[in-house]
Amino acid sequence: MNKGTKAIFMTPYILWLGLFVIAPVGLIFYYSFFNVQGQFTLDNYRNFFASGTYLAMTANSVLYAFLITLIALLISYPMAYYISKLKHRDLWILLVILPTWINLLLKAYAFIGLLSRDGLVNNLSQFFGLGVHHMLFTNASFILVAAYIQIPFMILPIYNSLVDINGSFIRASHDLGATTYQTFTKIILPLTKPGIQSGVQIVFIPSLSLFMLSRLIGGNKIITLGTAVEEHFLTTMNWGMGSTIGVVLIISMVIVMLLTNTKKKKRGQLNAK
Amino acid sequence: MQSKASKFGKFYLIFIFLLLYIPIAYLIIYSFSKGTTMANFHGFTLKHYQDLFADKRMLAIFLNTILIALLSSLISTIIGTIGAFAVHNARKRHTKQTLLSLNSILLVSPDVIIGASFLIFFTSLSVPLGFWSVLLSHIAFEIPIVLLMVLPRLNEMSPSLINAALDLGATPSQILSQIIIPYIQPGIIAGFFMAITYSLDDFAVTFFVTGNGFTTLSVEIYSRARQGIDLEINALSGIMFIFSLILVLVYYFIESHNVSKGRKKNRLEAVE
Amino acid sequence: MEKAIVELKGVSKVYDDGFVALKDIDLKLNQGEFYTLLGPSGSGKTTILRAIAGFTDVSSGEVLFDGKRINSIPANKRQLNTVFQDYALFPNMNVFENVAFGLVVSKTPKDEIKQRVADALKLVQLEKYANREITELSGGQQQRIAIARAVVNQPKVLLLDEPLSALDAKLRKDMQYELRDLQQRLGITFLFVTHDQEEALAMSDEIFVMNDGEILQKGTPVDIYDEPINHFVANFIGESNIIPGKMIEDYKVEFLGHQFESADAGMRPNEPVEVVIRPEDLVITSPENGKLQVKVSDQLFRGDYYEILAYDSDGNEWLIHSTNATEDDKIVGLSFGPHDMHVMRYHESEENFNERLDSYED
Repeated sequence: MNKGTKAIFMTPYILWLGLFVIAPVGLIFYYSFFNVQGQFTLDNYRNFFASGTYLAMTANSVLYAFLITLIALLISYPMAYYISKLKHRDLWILLVILPTWINLLLKAYAFIGLLSRDGLVNNLSQFFGLGVHHMLFTNASFILVAAYIQIPFMILPIYNSLVDINGSFIRASHDLGATTYQTFTKIILPLTKPGIQSGVQIVFIPSLSLFMLSRLIGGNKIITLGTAVEEHFLTTMNWGMGSTIGVVLIISMVIVMLLTNTKKKKRGQLNAK
Repeated sequence: MQSKASKFGKFYLIFIFLLLYIPIAYLIIYSFSKGTTMANFHGFTLKHYQDLFADKRMLAIFLNTILIALLSSLISTIIGTIGAFAVHNARKRHTKQTLLSLNSILLVSPDVIIGASFLIFFTSLSVPLGFWSVLLSHIAFEIPIVLLMVLPRLNEMSPSLINAALDLGATPSQILSQIIIPYIQPGIIAGFFMAITYSLDDFAVTFFVTGNGFTTLSVEIYSRARQGIDLEINALSGIMFIFSLILVLVYYFIESHNVSKGRKKNRLEAVE
Repeated sequence: MEKAIVELKGVSKVYDDGFVALKDIDLKLNQGEFYTLLGPSGSGKTTILRAIAGFTDVSSGEVLFDGKRINSIPANKRQLNTVFQDYALFPNMNVFENVAFGLVVSKTPKDEIKQRVADALKLVQLEKYANREITELSGGQQQRIAIARAVVNQPKVLLLDEPLSALDAKLRKDMQYELRDLQQRLGITFLFVTHDQEEALAMSDEIFVMNDGEILQKGTPVDIYDEPINHFVANFIGESNIIPGKMIEDYKVEFLGHQFESADAGMRPNEPVEVVIRPEDLVITSPENGKLQVKVSDQLFRGDYYEILAYDSDGNEWLIHSTNATEDDKIVGLSFGPHDMHVMRYHESEENFNERLDSYED
């Protein structure tokens, strides 16, 4: 194939890169410098960093995302670990993936029923004599539902890194006299670190900006960065402010990526040893 | 690593699997309830399914969603595969890395950012919001996942396969159609199915770029759910669950068909 | 002189990063001969193959096929075929489709394709395997299919890139006979690339020994084994004892403080040289009958001979192949005749080497 036909062949992909990757990101940065009247200004950023509401919102979003990620991780790691030991583990991991094929909205909607005043959860709590609670539209239910939705995405990378561990490492560890607990902390856990890192990355970043869940399950009370972006773009039509929050989200996303991308660090560690 | 799971492990697995599936089961069970809320099962009925199928608007939205999913997956599979070639053929390491990073931007960006930035983009180009803006957006965010599914196949293909075809006198287009495409086909199929799930699952991006006239299922469920429980949605989730299952089965059928070929090879290698 | 089917004239290959893969290579292949490019990995042998096949451009020099320059002709238009190291059988096609591929792309009539594929499969004794999938074949069978696929186009030259390296030792030996036999039946030129000197010695009409992008020596297996041009070739081909020495005059060489009668000549008086003695040419005798005395250090039983390691009084290591065992720590004598020694000059060009040999041999 000569260069000319190659160039024509590659055009759709290059166009996509330009139009749908570079241009939109650029536009968000560009719009963040304009106010509602369309004048160039730094006011959006000034507002963001001067107002207690936006800073509190940022802190809230980070806190919620952190809790969601932590809960998902605590539930998922043992899950991935035990599945990796099962005989038909391929089948079981398929069962973990299956719920992700069901529309996110439907799962959120299910919780509206489950958590409602006479839903299943309250029925159970009544049955055990714990009384009826108002659960829908609380922060706790928002965090738990978000964690529920993210669990499969946390299990998968951890499971993959567990399955990749060469069985003879474990046998060697036992052979050298390590207990099961020592083998876990000194061999298995360090070797699954990449899996944990990519799981954290996959869960934390979307959790920063959830708006659909906070609206449906959290009610309109919790305003996270995601809901703020949605509000500014679709309700108050203040795209400048919305873009500014967007830029803050993008920057925090990059920070998370840098913190969890440890390929280079790992090499450094190896050299140090 | 494989050894036996402990008793506690088994109990834990069962517990979490129950948690994972209860919400889904709950939804579907109540789609057969005579009541109007997801509480206190009132006896079996198919009324909600009948309502759903009689709902012309819902049917149209369902068809729209499928149309968008199929069309966008088809187009993104083609462009994503081309992109995989672009990355694979990049001579310099630096170019390759840059292309891969650009490719992953849409994969790691929060949906809200993608939706908002696409909204700005379409508005500044005066693209009317509706079918076309939704279709273009879906194509856009599906391309990177297709690329990631195809690229590993391209990378593991031995360059001597292409040299061998050249050596035997094949032209570049013959090599592409008879050697390369069949080789990377499993990656292309996986990419296509991933693209379909991304499209069917998307809510946030569509919500931003859909405008007034055009709706997909996710957006429709969202606006109905905000108004409270409506067992027609439960019926819809029943249908979509079956639909997802069929999709999974079709995919795994195709996949295992490919894998069984690979297995035979492994067996032979083990024998030698 | 016979007309060459493939010829390289002053071919060099320099990569973008400055790595020189080939330095001014001249090479001629005649019709119907079995040639081998032999050298360690990274010596440039595969690059020569790729330059002839057309998978890589050369930086300078000419590649000629049948007397015509083919530098700018793409690989798919060159009338020679390759057997790849990893076989490169197309996994999406079965055996028949693989072998037929070259005929299909050149739009050969269907009946003819059937006939020629059947012939090619018969040639490699796999005529019953036409409908098998590639994944159902063993390594040795895949190897034969790769050969069948390459010869079905009836090329004048077949290029083989380390085709036996993935096979186990026994199969590799069998395939050596088969390849040699196949080449003679087809009567076409084979250019075989390997880093295995045994393979090269067993099969070739002529061997090119390469190192660092240069051809060091060209010759028949016997010539190269008996009269290596320098230290590298002597060491790479077979096992050898190489001792520094001095050529006192024609037919007289000195090393380890003794003078010996030699079969070599044509050097400057008192020129520093290296002397090669092959381990199988050393005979163990009593210390008084030997030309040198060494102390046995170790011996390994190799099946058809004993490999004996010994040291002389200066601490030089000696490798001896002997049909009989000896005793460890025993002082023994080594005897060898003038024709068991081969004297090599430092930095002698192949041209001068050949001229010098011609001047006193025949």
